[in-house]
Amino acid sequence: MSILIQPFLANSFLLRALIAGMLVSISCGVVGTFIVLRGLAFIGDALAHGVLPGIAVAILLGVPGIVGAAVSAVVMIGGISFITNKSRLSSDTAIGLLFVGMLALGVVIVSRSTTFSGDLVRILFGEILGINTQSIILQAVATVVIITITIVGARPFLLLCFSPEQAQVSGFSARFYHNLMLAMIALAVIISFQTVGTMLVFGMLLAPAGAAALLAKRMKTMMIYASLIGMVSVYSGLLISYYFNLAAGSAIVLVAVVIFFAVMLIKNLQAASLRKGALSHD
Amino acid sequence: MRNCFKTFITILLISAFLGLSACQPLAASTNTGKKTIVVTYSILGSIVKELVGDQANVIVSMPNGQDPHEWEPSVRDIETLTHADLIVQNGLGLEGGMEKALAQAQAAGVKFFTASDYITIRTVGAGEGIPSGDPDQSIGAQDPHLWTDPVAMKQIVDALAQTMKSELGLDVSANATTLDSQLDTLNQDIINEVATLPTGERKLVTGHESLGYFAQRYGFKLVGAIIPSLNTQAEASAEDMSALAKLIKDNQVKAIFTELGTPANVSQSIGTETGVKVIEITTHALPANGDYFDFMHNLAQTIVDGLK
Repeated sequence: MSILIQPFLANSFLLRALIAGMLVSISCGVVGTFIVLRGLAFIGDALAHGVLPGIAVAILLGVPGIVGAAVSAVVMIGGISFITNKSRLSSDTAIGLLFVGMLALGVVIVSRSTTFSGDLVRILFGEILGINTQSIILQAVATVVIITITIVGARPFLLLCFSPEQAQVSGFSARFYHNLMLAMIALAVIISFQTVGTMLVFGMLLAPAGAAALLAKRMKTMMIYASLIGMVSVYSGLLISYYFNLAAGSAIVLVAVVIFFAVMLIKNLQAASLRKGALSHD
Repeated sequence: MRNCFKTFITILLISAFLGLSACQPLAASTNTGKKTIVVTYSILGSIVKELVGDQANVIVSMPNGQDPHEWEPSVRDIETLTHADLIVQNGLGLEGGMEKALAQAQAAGVKFFTASDYITIRTVGAGEGIPSGDPDQSIGAQDPHLWTDPVAMKQIVDALAQTMKSELGLDVSANATTLDSQLDTLNQDIINEVATLPTGERKLVTGHESLGYFAQRYGFKLVGAIIPSLNTQAEASAEDMSALAKLIKDNQVKAIFTELGTPANVSQSIGTETGVKVIEITTHALPANGDYFDFMHNLAQTIVDGLK
């Protein structure tokens, strides 16, 4: 039993990574559930990659990466709103344009600077093993904010996810709550990129929530399951990276994705056996 | 059928759990009472090993041959760093990929010895042939490649011997004296070697600016670098390349020296365009026997022979 706990007890940096990972799991579990229920995967992915130029510029200017990421996210969401409101283009197109534009901008900025290539890898894949106490505090604050907004706006969010038409009728501004959801996705991405990186934060948003959606029907239960699956992924991923000398952030996301497929497989097999059972009872 | 599956999954999980439990627990740190000194890269590591001898365990973080500017530590490597009694690092941003890991060690309260604190730091000078207007390569940027100067290494050895005494209670003065005289001899050997090269031929074009301290010590002129930066993480641009080619022609340089991390196609194209020899040298890794002195002799020899 001790081999499952010992590395964390003996290494404070690994323990910090675990705590940060747990917080990320909760933020991504909550926000990821919205993404899965509302079909926001594309914009989630766009945000996850669109923050790259902001982070790059921030690092060049010597400003914290998070600030840059926040600015990028605002530009992105603003840009998407602008295109969808002022033209006949669908949000799909708008998202795609901003996504590729911001990503290209990020790469251009990075290639212009000669100090960058190693940093780029670290932005994309995170440095969960480099987490300090300050980052943890930031993450805790962001997680609390996300949970609070979700609880306060539970009814409108619920309606938006399950019956958008009724949302409008009930007097909630669907647009406002939609944008609020986007803002929360942005917040989750901005805070989580330090741990798993911008490339992989998307995995932490989708995989646990996706698995949870297969297991639960109610939004609240989904969020809890998603957070738990995320936490198991973080714990196992860190242990695996420790014992098998693998990259930590990627190990975590791989575990999350494997869990998703395992759940999917079990669910399908259960459904298949149910059908067989029904047939054989003629 | 459904029950079958539940059983199957349960058995799977239990066996996985048992499998994990069967794994040997981590070997506890060998508590022989010996201190553990962790050195970040191999070249400095070999000097530290010679200085310390048997009196402490010396672990080198990076495998020899890895690029010190880029190498990133694994979880276990970070564990070793955070549990060291003393970390010997180069400083001046050499260990680019280890920044966060070293910060973790600092947060864990590990003692540090930074080699660059004890030498006269070289800065990029005017007219060192850095063609681009890159702000990172501006005049005054500090050069971390201190190991190519035996006299600087001597200063580090002396300072380190004192730190061993004060921080770890180890007396390595005998080894320090031996090392000092060996480094003196090495310095003189290289001076003699370089003397065989006419002064007019002492011009260096390298993969990246890594021979600054060597050039300073032995009277070479730095004409330019293929990657106009102090580390290998940067990239060459077309503008820089043509400026470099012009510099090579103007200075009538005979050979350019490529090293770990130099993009091969770029160096080849410069070689073809200017007609100079393209010679590979090793500046960031020890030879197979791990000996610093052999490393420096090879380095000096390759440079002198290449420019004759």
